[in-house]
Amino acid sequence: MRRVVLAAMIALGAVGIARADAPKESVEADASTRQVAITSSFTGTEILVFGAVSNSMQPSPEAGTYDIIVVVEGIPTPAVVRKKSRVGGIWVNTQSMRFASVPSYYAIASTRPVDEIADRAVLDTHGIGFDHVRMVRAVQSRTDATDPAELETFRQALIRLKEKERVYVKSDFGVSFVGRSLFRATIALPPNVPVAPLTAHVYLFKDGQMLGQYDSRVMLQREGIERYIHETALTRPLLYGIFTVMMAAGCGLAAAFAFRKPA
Amino acid sequence: MTLYLPIAEMSVSIVVYVALGLSIGFLSGLFGVGGGFLLMPLLTFLGVPSAVAVATSSSHVVASSVSGAITHYRRGNVDIKMGLVMLAGGLAGTYLGVAAVKILRQAGFFDLTISLIYVVFLGVVGTFILVEGINASRQAGAAGRPLARRSGQHSWMEGLPFKMRFPRSKLYMSVVPPLIIGLFIGCMSAIMGIGGGFVMIPAMIYLLRMPTGLVIGTSLFQIVFVAALATVLHAVENKTVDIVLATILIVGGVIGAQFGTIVGQKLRGEHLRLLLGALILLVAARMAFDLVLPPKDLFSLSAIAGAS
Repeated sequence: MRRVVLAAMIALGAVGIARADAPKESVEADASTRQVAITSSFTGTEILVFGAVSNSMQPSPEAGTYDIIVVVEGIPTPAVVRKKSRVGGIWVNTQSMRFASVPSYYAIASTRPVDEIADRAVLDTHGIGFDHVRMVRAVQSRTDATDPAELETFRQALIRLKEKERVYVKSDFGVSFVGRSLFRATIALPPNVPVAPLTAHVYLFKDGQMLGQYDSRVMLQREGIERYIHETALTRPLLYGIFTVMMAAGCGLAAAFAFRKPA
Repeated sequence: MTLYLPIAEMSVSIVVYVALGLSIGFLSGLFGVGGGFLLMPLLTFLGVPSAVAVATSSSHVVASSVSGAITHYRRGNVDIKMGLVMLAGGLAGTYLGVAAVKILRQAGFFDLTISLIYVVFLGVVGTFILVEGINASRQAGAAGRPLARRSGQHSWMEGLPFKMRFPRSKLYMSVVPPLIIGLFIGCMSAIMGIGGGFVMIPAMIYLLRMPTGLVIGTSLFQIVFVAALATVLHAVENKTVDIVLATILIVGGVIGAQFGTIVGQKLRGEHLRLLLGALILLVAARMAFDLVLPPKDLFSLSAIAGAS
């Protein structure tokens, strides 16, 4: 009996030593697609973000030892949220709030709701979760809301509107482990996804502590005729405008000619 | 089948937009109007941003008026001199209109302004055409109402300076009224994405007292150039012209217009005017409702924060 206890103690001690010596867990990840081409037939797509926890001590995929959060973010862009109110019987934009930068696109997937994974401070620092998205307010204008409670409603309105446009996406149980260390998440890119490079941040958590982070990039690029048209419209607007007019006039004349009555 | 619009940045069904182009074209051929006043609201109902809808409508106006302008020119129905004077005002007005669109978009009042202008403009014009149509169908049994043309009698316009002779219209009058009419309609058309023929034609008949035979040709002549300038300026200043959307709508539009014209020739003029008036009022009412009814969402989001 003593021997057994001793053996067990030794074994435990060994495990303890092994634990202390074991390399810390870290995370590595990548996206299935590095380049998404926006062509004239683009109707949205999905990218797969996958990765592995190195030195995983998770006994099974279902154990839930680790939490993974995948955040796919677009570039910071300016935005204005406006609020209507009734003025003389009609609805007019009366209040607004300007943001110097909000993510053009924001998708989050996690193994469980982010608020259960870590506390506010951590989520805020990394901009994880809809309530913690990094937003920078712009210089105030005359019609800007000032009341803090009101600021919060504007912030929430922005998230809600972006969510309605499907450019902000949340999936509370969107990350799943497929092995002791391997995990995956699919991220939907809607047809109206803002065309800009995306950054995929993958965070590894255990007991509320962040153990590691891994970033990778996904390029969104207009391609083919789509790219040509967009570039021309932005860089040579005069040429683009004249060309549009010529196309319009040409169509008008062609139709008149084709349907011409035999005189 | 869907297509991604490069400027509107949305994926749309080709079938829906070709059908839209065809029906707008059909109506414009039927009534002999450009159809911009229907196209712009319908595009926004379908979710196209209103600034893109306006700019793209302008290019549609070019397509729907160019062949008519050339036909009238060949038949000698264009008073070039009067057209050029109005065009001078029209081009200046277009420039002002496009600048106004830019300012209003930045201030966040574009959607509201355009709705208000549409409601007022279409309400007034629709009522006018409807009343005219009702009167005309009442009198239809009697002998055709002769349009009184008293050239030279412009009452208050007599006193205006810069008089000019317009031999084609047999008018001797100040250039100020045609310039102002051109300016006003150029400005409106750039803001609304319409040709403005349905305002210009009554103005030319009742204010300038031009011969009716020359009115349509002359107004089309200047609409083509005003709409062309509006398209180019919107492309340069606001970057809101979507050439893919324009092409789909125009291809449907010019074909639809041919069928509309054929059907239009089989209907009586006063009935057409009744229908047109009712249609314009319907669009105005629909837009008025949107202004008055509490919006589904009090908040709206826009990407333009000053610069881009």
